[in-house]
Amino acid sequence: MRTPNKSIKNRLRFALGVIVLIVAFLTWKLFYIQVYKNDELQKGALEQWTKGIDIKSDRGVIYDRNGKKLAVNIPAYTVWATPADIKDPELVAKEIADLLLMDENEVLEKLKKDVSTEKIKQWITREEALELRKLSIRGITLVDDSKRYYPYENFASYILGFTDIDNNGLDGIENTYDKYLAGVPGKIVKTTDAANRQMPYDGEKIHDPQSGLSLVLTIDETIQHFAEKAANQALLDTKAKNVSILVMDPITGDLLAMANKPDYNPNTPREPLTDAQRREWENIPADQLPNKWYEVWRNFAISDVYEPGSTFKVVTAAAALEEGSANLDTHYYCNGTVKINGVELKCANWYNPHKDQTFAESINNSCNVAFVNMGRNLGKEHMLEYIKAFGFGEKTGINLLGEQGGIIPANTDVIKEINLATLSYGHGIAVTPLQMLNMFSTIANGGNLMEVRLVKELIDEEGNIVKSFEPTIRTKVLSEKTSNTMLNLLEGVVKDGTGRKAYIPGYRVGGKTGTALKIVDGRYAPGKYIASFGAIAPVDDPRIAVLVVIDEPVGVYYGGTIAGPVVQNVVEDTLNYLEVRPKFTEEEGELLKENIIVPDVRNHKINEAGKILSDLGLRYTTEYQNITVDSIIKDQFPLPGAEVINGSIIDLYLNERPSLITMPDLMGKTREEVSQILDELDLQYTFNGAGKVINQNPEAGENLNKDTNIVIELSEG
Amino acid sequence: MAESKKKVKKKSVDFILLITTISLVFIGIVMVFSSSWPEAMENHGDGYYFLKKQLISATIGFISMMLAMNINYHYYKKFAIPIYLLALLSGALIFTPLGVEIKGATRWLNLGFTTFMPSDAIKLGSIMFFANFLANKKEKIGTFIQGTIPALLIIGLSCILILEQPDLGTTVTLAATLIAMFFIGGAKLRYLLGMGVGAGFFLVYAITSEGNEYRMERWTTFLDPFSDKLDSGWQIVQSLYALGSGGIFGLGLGKSRQKFFYIPEAYNDFIFSIIGEELGLLGTLSVLFLFFILIWRGVVIALKTEDLFGCYLASGITALIAIQSLINIAVVTSSIPTTGITLPFISSGGTSLLFYMASVGILLNISRYTK
Repeated sequence: MRTPNKSIKNRLRFALGVIVLIVAFLTWKLFYIQVYKNDELQKGALEQWTKGIDIKSDRGVIYDRNGKKLAVNIPAYTVWATPADIKDPELVAKEIADLLLMDENEVLEKLKKDVSTEKIKQWITREEALELRKLSIRGITLVDDSKRYYPYENFASYILGFTDIDNNGLDGIENTYDKYLAGVPGKIVKTTDAANRQMPYDGEKIHDPQSGLSLVLTIDETIQHFAEKAANQALLDTKAKNVSILVMDPITGDLLAMANKPDYNPNTPREPLTDAQRREWENIPADQLPNKWYEVWRNFAISDVYEPGSTFKVVTAAAALEEGSANLDTHYYCNGTVKINGVELKCANWYNPHKDQTFAESINNSCNVAFVNMGRNLGKEHMLEYIKAFGFGEKTGINLLGEQGGIIPANTDVIKEINLATLSYGHGIAVTPLQMLNMFSTIANGGNLMEVRLVKELIDEEGNIVKSFEPTIRTKVLSEKTSNTMLNLLEGVVKDGTGRKAYIPGYRVGGKTGTALKIVDGRYAPGKYIASFGAIAPVDDPRIAVLVVIDEPVGVYYGGTIAGPVVQNVVEDTLNYLEVRPKFTEEEGELLKENIIVPDVRNHKINEAGKILSDLGLRYTTEYQNITVDSIIKDQFPLPGAEVINGSIIDLYLNERPSLITMPDLMGKTREEVSQILDELDLQYTFNGAGKVINQNPEAGENLNKDTNIVIELSEG
Repeated sequence: MAESKKKVKKKSVDFILLITTISLVFIGIVMVFSSSWPEAMENHGDGYYFLKKQLISATIGFISMMLAMNINYHYYKKFAIPIYLLALLSGALIFTPLGVEIKGATRWLNLGFTTFMPSDAIKLGSIMFFANFLANKKEKIGTFIQGTIPALLIIGLSCILILEQPDLGTTVTLAATLIAMFFIGGAKLRYLLGMGVGAGFFLVYAITSEGNEYRMERWTTFLDPFSDKLDSGWQIVQSLYALGSGGIFGLGLGKSRQKFFYIPEAYNDFIFSIIGEELGLLGTLSVLFLFFILIWRGVVIALKTEDLFGCYLASGITALIAIQSLINIAVVTSSIPTTGITLPFISSGGTSLLFYMASVGILLNISRYTK
């Protein structure tokens, strides 16, 4: 018999040796996979086994400072499908499409998708949800959801902002405080097989969502309403591009109101708000529309800078007093112009020069020539120091999107003599309305530049305070003494100076007006102005600082003339609301009684007319830019013979006053017919509601001019 | 011959080998049941579908093992040629209408009452025939003309039918088994080296030739399975997820998640990863060491057999079990590219279980005649 020899046996042993090595290698490999790589692979496996449906967390509510709800959540339902669990997609698609008024093919496509979960429709109504629950289709899940709602509609839009369909904050405080408001979403977790079906282990796990924190703003809903109303009125009266009204508590730096008009409705931020806007947007290609939206969402009060003009003289005056380079006994002489290195700078009243003025009169008159001298005495180092100290050139730090820091001289080297001169009266510098307001607050509160506070505190669901933000002083700019002096000087501006139109008998209001040419693309844009008025009230115990900015008014553009009445309106409403009682001085009491008969100044030259009115204790404004000393007054308002109180303002016109139009009868007409009629007459109007006219204001037969805003109320309002 | 036969007194069979085999088959039944449940429910509406089949196969396999254990293996030498021809014939039947095509490969014969996998028969038939060849040529194996050339022809003939199915994995397994036998039988190393180079060229050709792009894809996937884990890397990534999530102690018997269609046909080629997932490192190492014990006993039997044919037959059977089981585990652990072969004794599959158990029966019979 042939028997295995030694060589065969050696080769067999060698083969076994190879096997041992392979087994050793595989043992190591198994260790490597199952022990060393265990975590990593387990994670990968878990990821593919578990599929989750998000449960949204309740978004925090936004309250005003008194607990009024400015942004809330309303319940809504979202329909989800787990395609793998649906036995008969065609039938289910039909049922769902019928119930939710959707396209059947679109639903079917979603039901057939190779995904674990697919959203069918977001935010269905309660009735639809009830119907759907009754059907109880396997593979269709209803998730309780919520939808953001702003009960006041287009109100404080630029503070609140808005959210997207998934409740992510996109703009305003909704965006900047999103991480607090959002909360932590929960999840329904399922373990599923490779075909996305529920595996027979564990069942569903539900991780509860955690609600977001609520915000308490410093905004006062009532004051915001005053501001919104006044801004809207000013927008209609002046036909301006933008009107911005800001109200602040100067002591704390709390922003009480911030209204911009025109605005948008945060519930439907992408929908036009006015008919004019709707007509304009209808003709814009879809890809251009977002640009329009961004324009509308732009927060004029913090995102746009403007050249402040005369309101900025407050900075120059305060700096001069604080540094002692001028005092109340300093006199300035104005003969209408001042020459700096060959450049002639004009005073606004150059045709009727102010001559000799005290410090206070210089401010009352808003005399450029006086301020050029005041600035020169102050020096450019101090000028720049105070510009910075008042917070210009840097963001206020208000927690909203798109804030600009403004433009100030980079250093003293770039401030030439001419620059110092124009800076003194607020030219050659760009500021935001909010920065300007904060400057007025600093004047009002004893000289402290405050952090602008917009959010007072964060509270949880039970109302416990989780975090509160305290008023903080940024910079001590002025002494108490300078602050008080400035307050009295600003009161003078309203009592006796350019701010006269903001005067409210019984309240001690201080303020400063400003008018400046707009800069568009780096150049002065002729005929485009920004009129502004900063005010503090009451000056003996400042409660509010107010700034009104009117961007590109049509017609009269002087800050004192057009912004003054707006300030008056807001200040009076707000002080009443804050229960500040009016205190009439004896003088005021008498003045109230003493009436003056308006003289006839028609066909006089402007400087003669001015003198006649001033001698009687009246003031005057003109609306035209190109005035010469020889300009003849053609018309006036109020008309001669009217009785007015001491200090009233007489509007002077160089052309005929616009002829009056008789209001047509619109009752019972349709919206379209009304548009036709009023467009023909070139009139301004707004509609409320839809259907036929049931009310009109003014009534038929009343006289009106082209500036009158007609309000048409329609049925089905 | 007759004299020598009397000399050899029949001993009892190798008990360790028997126990090891039964353990593996038992583990196989349990794991086929566990891993096939979801698919059995889904496709057959009966969670026990694959368990029943496996139980039947194991019973038949056990009977075959008992029979083979008691059939004197010397008969195989006598009938080596007819057995081989029969096996080849069954392989050729695949190309007749009896062949069943599944997923582009024809690997089964439909016998009406059951299906049959000829490659399993060819494997055992070739081993017997080759063992006979080696034993007859004993002294001349080392030569080129009388040893190497005929050996190559036999290897080629045995493999060609399987390669044409096509089934590269089984071809490689069988070729490696026969080459291992050739090596043990005394092949000259330089010829073996030449064959190795030839086999290498053949593999490169098989992978890069036109119409076989899937083989190339398997190779690139092997290098980085996670780069395309949703498509070509799917199987191997799922296998690693299963093994990895099992950790040391496993998720517990029956608690695999990966068997829920993440690993397709979890009861077949990738059953080892389900063992890893449910029973952890302890489970996988136990199975690996059971195979090692089986191989070790096979080698011991071959070493102790005084009869040359018995030695080669034992070596061949052991080599087949060793090569197929280790390749399978190497694939599942991503140590080599995917080849698509089952894990002996454990994976579901009637023919395979039948022949492997019968093969062990033969080994056990040989063990009776050892010193």
